Amino acid sequence: MTMETAAAPRRARPFALPMALVRPVVSLGLLFGLWEIAARTGTISAFLFPPPTAILASLWVSAGPNGDPPFGTLLDIALSLYRLLAGVGLALVLGSLIGLAIGLTRWGRAIFKPIISAIMPIPTLAWTPILLLVFGIDNRTTITVVFIAASFEIIYNVVTGIEMMTRKTYWVAASMGASRIQTLRYVIVPGILPYLITGLKLGVGYAWRALIAAEMLAASSHGLGFMIYDAQEYMDMKSIYGGILTISVLGLLIERGVVGALEKRTIEKWGVNVER
Amino acid sequence: MPPGFRLFDRVIVVVQFLLPILGLLLFWELAVRTGLAQASILPAPSTILARAVELLGLTGERAVLFGHIGASLKRALLAFALAVAVGVPLGFLLGLSREAQLWVSPILSLMLPLPAVAWTPILLVVFGPGDLTIVIVCFLGAVFPVLYSTMQGVRACGTQPVWVVRSMGGSRLDVLRRVLIPASLPALITGFKLGMAHSWRTLVAAEMLAALSSGLGYMIFSARSYMDVSTMFVGVVCLAAIGMAIEHLLFGTLERATIHRWYVRDAGTGGRQ
Repeated sequence: MTMETAAAPRRARPFALPMALVRPVVSLGLLFGLWEIAARTGTISAFLFPPPTAILASLWVSAGPNGDPPFGTLLDIALSLYRLLAGVGLALVLGSLIGLAIGLTRWGRAIFKPIISAIMPIPTLAWTPILLLVFGIDNRTTITVVFIAASFEIIYNVVTGIEMMTRKTYWVAASMGASRIQTLRYVIVPGILPYLITGLKLGVGYAWRALIAAEMLAASSHGLGFMIYDAQEYMDMKSIYGGILTISVLGLLIERGVVGALEKRTIEKWGVNVER
Repeated sequence: MPPGFRLFDRVIVVVQFLLPILGLLLFWELAVRTGLAQASILPAPSTILARAVELLGLTGERAVLFGHIGASLKRALLAFALAVAVGVPLGFLLGLSREAQLWVSPILSLMLPLPAVAWTPILLVVFGPGDLTIVIVCFLGAVFPVLYSTMQGVRACGTQPVWVVRSMGGSRLDVLRRVLIPASLPALITGFKLGMAHSWRTLVAAEMLAALSSGLGYMIFSARSYMDVSTMFVGVVCLAAIGMAIEHLLFGTLERATIHRWYVRDAGTGGRQ
């Protein structure tokens, strides 16, 4: 669900402003500018909707050495990212293995497919209270939620990748005397890689959203989700808005920046465009 | 193939599907019975089933489960209706006007990576815990899939059918009624399906954080404080079963009655969650 598409080619003007840059600046500027003015003049409650500059200022302080605790926001970001990475890494390994088992073997398909379709309709966050009982308030709870959120997309895409491969590729490999390991190494793994990355991209998106919610429900200390929920108990609106802004920007960076770059690379290398 | 055999084949498929699930449940039951798993953390499926029977009021106790399910459904449906009321008109606007879409999209892409649940703290401060907060959170979860699907459906319609109707003297209303709505209907229904699924999935978390006294999420989260694990599992199974029922029975029927009947190709199905 990406929004941007190539703009229609226009006649080049000598001092044409790059509209792709102007639009976000203007529309976001307008939104935050109006908010700022309304909050400063008292049109809207400055307690419930603190002016954006005040939000940024409080974010700046809490991310710095004078925050409480010092560098608190940075710690929250680091812990959230650690949980995300751990959960997604786990999902990447286990998800690909299960995906390969489903796609390549009869027993894997027979066993895993029904079980997965039975587990999948459970809302990811409904696992949180159960995991809280098993692991307690611990990083393992949030990491497992992230793992669950990310793994279904990865499994699904790996299976699709295998199904999309033509039989002829196998035949070619087999006719040239490739062993099973060689087939896996040289045919299947490169074949599913673009799909795996699509799965990763979607999975990371879900995982990020699930992580924040899970942190609100289950984190003991730190993490962006915990931070905004904790701030609510003290009615510290500036911290809540600052946290939400951080979550949104980080989420965008992860989805567009990190995973997007990875995707672009593989597409360039293999020339495959995975439509979804 | 004679019909008897076809039925036999179907039964085989169903059995093959259910076998691993039953196997897993059996293994779980045995693990608890033999003491391999701790019953206080992972109760046996039979215990959970017994608890479900109790909660349904079949043993003469108060049937609390229906109350929770009703409260949850009411909130999710209300949020979904709001999401449709906002998402569809906005989707038509942004789908029809490329310029409007380009200007609004920065704001939308800033909102998109945010889980709807992240708004809960603000809403808790503004409105306090209760139905209003929960419904708004679910609305925020449901509105984006509806909006995006509508936008894509309208955009996919293309300009030529619009020109045709206009050149034959059709008014703008005619274009809307005879071109845009029929053309975008498959995408609309996909969007509704996704929107309802998001509303339902967001609901659990919202209810855990903000419900006062009812709802499945509340039931699960409050059972946690009594270490009443079987009730938690009953709640989780209910969430999954109702989610499935909404998706397959409600929207499946709707799709068969409309898309599959009126359109040749199935609309692209979207993502999960």
